[in-house]
Amino acid sequence: MQSQILTWITFLPLIGMAVILLLPKTSMNAIKGVSLAATFLAMVLGTWLYFYGFEQKSLAEIEAARATGDILGAQFVQRIDWIDSIKAQYYVGIDGLSVALVWLTTVLLFVGVIASFGMEKAGKAYYALLLMLEVGILGVFVSLDLFLFYVFWEVMLLPMYFLIGIWGGPRREYAAIKFFLYTLAGSVLMLVAIVALRLDSGTFSIPQLTELAVSGKLLGMSLPANGVLLGMDFTTWVFWFLFVGFAIKVPVWPFHTWLPDAHVEAPTPISVILAGILLKLGGYGMLRACFPLAPDAFHESAFILGVLGVISIVYGAFVALGQSDFKKMVAYSSVSHMGYVLLGMAAFTVWGMEGAVLQMFNHGTSSAALFLIVGVIYDRAHHRDLNGFGGLSQLMPRYWALTTLGFFAALGLPGLAGFVSEAMTLVGSFQAADTRFQVLVLISTLGIVFTAAFLLYAMQRVFLGKKNAKYEGIEEINFREVFCQAPFLFLCVLFGILPYLLLDWMHPSVQNLINILKVQG
Amino acid sequence: MNNPYLDGLASIAPEIVLTVTALAALVFDLVVKGRESVRVGYLSLAGLAATAWFLFGQWGTESHTAFGMVSIDQFGNFFKLFTVAALAVVVLYVMHDRRERKSGVGEYYFLLLGAAIGIFFMVSTSNLLLMVLGFELLSLSSYSLAGFHKGNRKSAEASMKYVIFGGLSTGIMVYGISLLYGLTGTIDLAQMATSPNLLAQVSANPIPLGIATVLILAGFAYKISLAPFHFWTPDVYEGAPTPVTTFLAVASKAAGFGALLRFLGALFVGQSGNALGSYGERVTLMLALLAAITMTLGNFAALRQSSLKRMLAYSSIAHAGYVMVGIACMTREGFSAAMYYLAAYYFMNLGAFGFLVYFEGVTGSDTIDSLKGMGFKAPLISMVMVAFLVSLTGLPPTVGFYGKYLLFVEGVDEGLMWLVVIAALNSVVSLFYYLRVAKALFLNKPAEADAAPAPLLTGFVTVLGLATVGFGLYVAPLESWANRSLDLLKAASGS
Repeated sequence: MQSQILTWITFLPLIGMAVILLLPKTSMNAIKGVSLAATFLAMVLGTWLYFYGFEQKSLAEIEAARATGDILGAQFVQRIDWIDSIKAQYYVGIDGLSVALVWLTTVLLFVGVIASFGMEKAGKAYYALLLMLEVGILGVFVSLDLFLFYVFWEVMLLPMYFLIGIWGGPRREYAAIKFFLYTLAGSVLMLVAIVALRLDSGTFSIPQLTELAVSGKLLGMSLPANGVLLGMDFTTWVFWFLFVGFAIKVPVWPFHTWLPDAHVEAPTPISVILAGILLKLGGYGMLRACFPLAPDAFHESAFILGVLGVISIVYGAFVALGQSDFKKMVAYSSVSHMGYVLLGMAAFTVWGMEGAVLQMFNHGTSSAALFLIVGVIYDRAHHRDLNGFGGLSQLMPRYWALTTLGFFAALGLPGLAGFVSEAMTLVGSFQAADTRFQVLVLISTLGIVFTAAFLLYAMQRVFLGKKNAKYEGIEEINFREVFCQAPFLFLCVLFGILPYLLLDWMHPSVQNLINILKVQG
Repeated sequence: MNNPYLDGLASIAPEIVLTVTALAALVFDLVVKGRESVRVGYLSLAGLAATAWFLFGQWGTESHTAFGMVSIDQFGNFFKLFTVAALAVVVLYVMHDRRERKSGVGEYYFLLLGAAIGIFFMVSTSNLLLMVLGFELLSLSSYSLAGFHKGNRKSAEASMKYVIFGGLSTGIMVYGISLLYGLTGTIDLAQMATSPNLLAQVSANPIPLGIATVLILAGFAYKISLAPFHFWTPDVYEGAPTPVTTFLAVASKAAGFGALLRFLGALFVGQSGNALGSYGERVTLMLALLAAITMTLGNFAALRQSSLKRMLAYSSIAHAGYVMVGIACMTREGFSAAMYYLAAYYFMNLGAFGFLVYFEGVTGSDTIDSLKGMGFKAPLISMVMVAFLVSLTGLPPTVGFYGKYLLFVEGVDEGLMWLVVIAALNSVVSLFYYLRVAKALFLNKPAEADAAPAPLLTGFVTVLGLATVGFGLYVAPLESWANRSLDLLKAASGS
């Protein structure tokens, strides 16, 4: 059981989905019950895994594992031959980079199901797709085989397309197809790179590929023309093909334009999942399957990545400032916050890298909370125009209190989670070997100012000022909504005060990653 | 039992059974005149089952019969089984096509079976003359089938266009073959490949061989509708009755690929004793360009179609382009990938056409608009259709994805990286029009009209859908079949 736990977590939702498909369309309570049970069980397993099952190995232990062919020091490894002819394996395992994200996924999807109970239109197909989405996401986080990774990566697309396209807002069709096309455009390039890596190395195993890459043996030498494509050498184009695939998901400027559309049109629970966890797949993918597979090219292009990160930070925040749609504002804030992730990773220091992983987790909780907050008001007023409210603090004091907490977590107030991770990425970037990063850090502080500005400006317009008579009898936030938000806000506070609860888990893995990549650079 | 002619007859037993079935279908229809088409359909299915039985009996055997004209080998067996399986599905579609008229169906089955006989000879000979004969038998049957709706202007136009293009391309191909005959003095591919005469001629002046190759390739390109020889495809596919379109898009196209693979494999795929192996590279470039043009053109033209049938026609052109990536590699592995992709194509395209047969019966129209909201009325078949669309786009976990993966691998391995990148980007373009179908089905408001259930057809399409996903996760059977089928091509062309 222990060694199969990742398989159980990943495929529990699939079992739930199969059960749902067999249930009649009319028995909505049973359908909801099954989805709740499946996601709850996955969450229990995920939580167990994080706090008890996962062993905090020391750096020395991880490095010792390298001798046995596992450069990542993964745990709960399960390895079964899948497609013999191409040596693709069902190879799963987790390390310090993925364990927190697996946990976060299970929590988010559980909350996502509860949040969906408020949607009257959501029927059998909705819950089935939601569970299928969870399978895809968890699969990506636990895969240590590149082929398997890609399969799960693509499995996520279709449910997301339908979830936005069927249950979304007025422009849902456009948003759904844009999401699908952007992501697919990135992932076919990824596929070409994966094919090339496989041909050059003869393996799909990510640890093995990493080992080859960091020891300089993954240079396309066994390919025709040494793997040169349009004058670019092998590692360079492999790096960029993979990077663009992941950058679209993050999303990094200039690949971000699908995000505001998808967010605005998606129903609230889907926005929560999209911002909370789908975006993290991009950042995680870079750390797992992009930088380590082409370390040379990563070091060469680090500064460009840093610049892209800073543009995302500043541009995202600046555009958010100009939005009058509450949800769109939060969507652009995601672009800005995910920029820190890229900046921190590009800086290639322990603090930067750890800050980046931490920021992924913290953005997962804070953005989930923000989208739930937007959902609460949208369900009542049926619009999201920031200028159309006013004085809500008097009408919905409890809602206001929760919103304030969420906003402050997002703008990085000390004591809350966002502050720790943003500070770490900035400090880490400032320490970067490449001194040009210091300029980038200076510029990115602009983003912090803009972020504070758009959040406070929104707060002022919606909650403060004169009471809008139209919303006199508006209903206060109800128990289910509070119940959905509570875990995220709790985690924002918890990891703001005790960030080591996350850092201790990831530190050895991050340190290990930096060490192995450094040897090459 | 020492009579060589009798022995020869045993090895063409599948062909004989098919011929008998075809004739029986014709006669049976006269006897039960005015009856439903169903009975003749069952008769055809029984004949196909018997044919398949004999084909399995030949599994793994190799022989040359009838003066060495017919080669019985695993390679031919692959395409014959493919044809039988595809034809069985087509017959089922004919039986469930509500728009099909009920009289004269005997001829319908007769022509379909006749086309299959043509395919059988086309893919199991290394004699170019017999190949052309098979080619023509297939074409003549197809012309009549395309125009089977006599009263329908589109159907008549389709048939006419088909005849004109078909006649022209056969002429070009036969001219190419005559040049090749002039160069080598033989009409048999296996002898040609090892002809010392040919090598001497070619090293002195490669131009006649080049011209002959280009002309013959043009004939094949017409049959598998590669750009720029694809012009007949959309009109014929649209005008022909849908089951016939299914047959043309799946069985007839695969047969063209089969003959092309045998031709290229025998003459150009480098191996010991093969005179022309060194000219393979030039052919590679030509085929790669054809592949790139075909897939790009097919996909971009499909974007603008409002008719699902026409869209599937262009999509089949694009898929021919993907298959060509494997063929352009000019290696055994590349051919194997191409054959795997054809097997994948079988499941996903037959399924998509089955969906079309069903919805034409329900709505009486083949436009994508008429599908709006139907996903909520007929959820099962629509969900399965989404699986086919996913597979056609080439997303995991489906058979189409694995097929594309194999093609990409071989392409990269042979230094055709540019072609692989083009193919990958083409997948993104194709997603856009495949998604339009999914969008119409599920994203639009539920339709007013009810969809009458067709449990048999739905069940059948669902089986194809399960295979599309199932073989995408468990790829070994199809892959080893494709691989095994090529081992014998190697032996045949080397001898």
